[in-house]
Amino acid sequence: MISFDIQLNHPDFSLSAKGEFDDGITAVFGPSGAGKSSLLNCLAGSIKPSDGWVTLDGTTLYSGSNGIWVSSEKRRIGTVYQDGALFPHLNVRKNIEFGWKLLPEDQRRLDPLEIADLLGLTHLLDRAPNELSGGERQRVAIARALATSPALLLLDEPLASLDAARRGSILNYLKRVHAELNMPMIYVSHSISEVVSIASSAMLLRDGEVEGFDRPSALLLGAISTSDEVDSFDNILDGVIGDSTDYLTTVRIGEVDISTRHQNKNPGDRVVVSLGANKIILATDEPTNLSARNILRGSVSEIWSNTGKVFTEVDIGEKFIVELTENALSDLGIAVGQNVFLVFKSSSVEVYDA
Amino acid sequence: MNSDISIVALSLQIALVATAVTLPVGMFVAWLLVRKQFRGKFVLDVFVSLPLALPPVVVGYALLWIVGTNGWIGQLSESLFGSTLAFTWIAAALAAAIVSLPLVVRSFAAALAGVDPRLEVAARGLGAGSIRTFLTVTLPLAYRGVIAGVLLGFVRSLSEFGATIIVAGNIPGRTQTLPSAIFTRISAGNTDDAWRLALVSVVLGVIALAVHNWLLKRTANGISSSNGGFR
Repeated sequence: MISFDIQLNHPDFSLSAKGEFDDGITAVFGPSGAGKSSLLNCLAGSIKPSDGWVTLDGTTLYSGSNGIWVSSEKRRIGTVYQDGALFPHLNVRKNIEFGWKLLPEDQRRLDPLEIADLLGLTHLLDRAPNELSGGERQRVAIARALATSPALLLLDEPLASLDAARRGSILNYLKRVHAELNMPMIYVSHSISEVVSIASSAMLLRDGEVEGFDRPSALLLGAISTSDEVDSFDNILDGVIGDSTDYLTTVRIGEVDISTRHQNKNPGDRVVVSLGANKIILATDEPTNLSARNILRGSVSEIWSNTGKVFTEVDIGEKFIVELTENALSDLGIAVGQNVFLVFKSSSVEVYDA
Repeated sequence: MNSDISIVALSLQIALVATAVTLPVGMFVAWLLVRKQFRGKFVLDVFVSLPLALPPVVVGYALLWIVGTNGWIGQLSESLFGSTLAFTWIAAALAAAIVSLPLVVRSFAAALAGVDPRLEVAARGLGAGSIRTFLTVTLPLAYRGVIAGVLLGFVRSLSEFGATIIVAGNIPGRTQTLPSAIFTRISAGNTDDAWRLALVSVVLGVIALAVHNWLLKRTANGISSSNGGFR
């Protein structure tokens, strides 16, 4: 568990953030310039705050009043940067082993080769960083940080430079890492879709101040419905390939089956599914005679409404976020607890390898 | 012919010692200039670069004043060894080091500036201290530029004349280097002997500069784009 109360004063920027993050995956969300990376750098020890304190699992890493400062190489906090920041002169294996080799043997809890295996890197160990794809580079960066057996993993916009297909895959690897290694993570992002998909709680930063700390969907959808910072939300969900016909493939998400375009995959393959919140239609009665292949019954569990844009969370066994307009909301009289139907075309669903 | 060999040997010895001095000093100064923000950075930059802008004779004169009986280095060495450093090969090496330092610092600074500082931050976060980070990340990524800088400094030291002749004189067998020997032979009208040594200078210079340029060229299109930076 990490807790902190940090002041950072610069001539042109200031950050004031207080928080306590449990051992789950916590997101730090906000528009660019909000101070997300500064907060992360203060926690990692690559920036010294102006005042305040930071403790990790009961150990004080920084205290302005007591003059305590643990330098970044002694913090046991792993960091993954946006572009990976891999060492270009070392191959994948040497990159991953870089920090591991510096650890005293009794502190080497995680084996680099097992981590490489967990992240699907075993066949890439002898490659140079410039021979890797963007997604592979990020996986190496994650493995390199994990190999130092950190008490906490910081991820600074790790998916920002990747395309949609790779994003889903990396999110999945991170979930797997979190589940198998019990690794606490702080995930900095400006993508609500990513945050809602991966994090169990989120801190919202704006102009160097904490605006909220809550369940990601509750916090973020409420916040963004008032702003233009994000114009679309994607539901990113884990799925398993089911049966296929000539033109359609079923993907099972939790207890729910949805139809997608035909996928060249085998039943049982793990996938990541992405469905835009604005691609889903809400109906209060069960529609008939529709070409859309997905009509799913659920109930409205939450509504974030502000001028213009509305997000609703609909529970159909899995939770889906649906975007609609204020007019639709009032015309249909949609309220929390109401039974509704989600309607979307199989071609609106993007399916990626997990 | 024998004296030619001893002249070349002494020149190489002086240039090597000068390079051994400029390598760590130049690296530290370049690192300060590229990676650190501090008060007096501008002054340090100007001070280190000054020999580039001054006639070497002036540098030699200033150095003579420092290592002579009135200077603090002179007094220190006098109390330790009973004599000053003036008119010794060590003074010649010192002169060569000071005159070549600006070139070395400039080359090193360019090499260090080419290394992404985020890689150093990443190394620190992975548990490497600042010295280990420098040795295992910064230096391997900058080494071509560093070697190029060393060669440039070495060549400049080999050809140093103005400061050397003031502070170390032109004593055959003790402080007479290639340039000062050539000067002596030209003055005495021994043109054949002068040409021979001049040719040696040209050969040494061409070799060093060729290697220098080859390294810089490989740095320019290496490391990030191809396998050039990969071991």
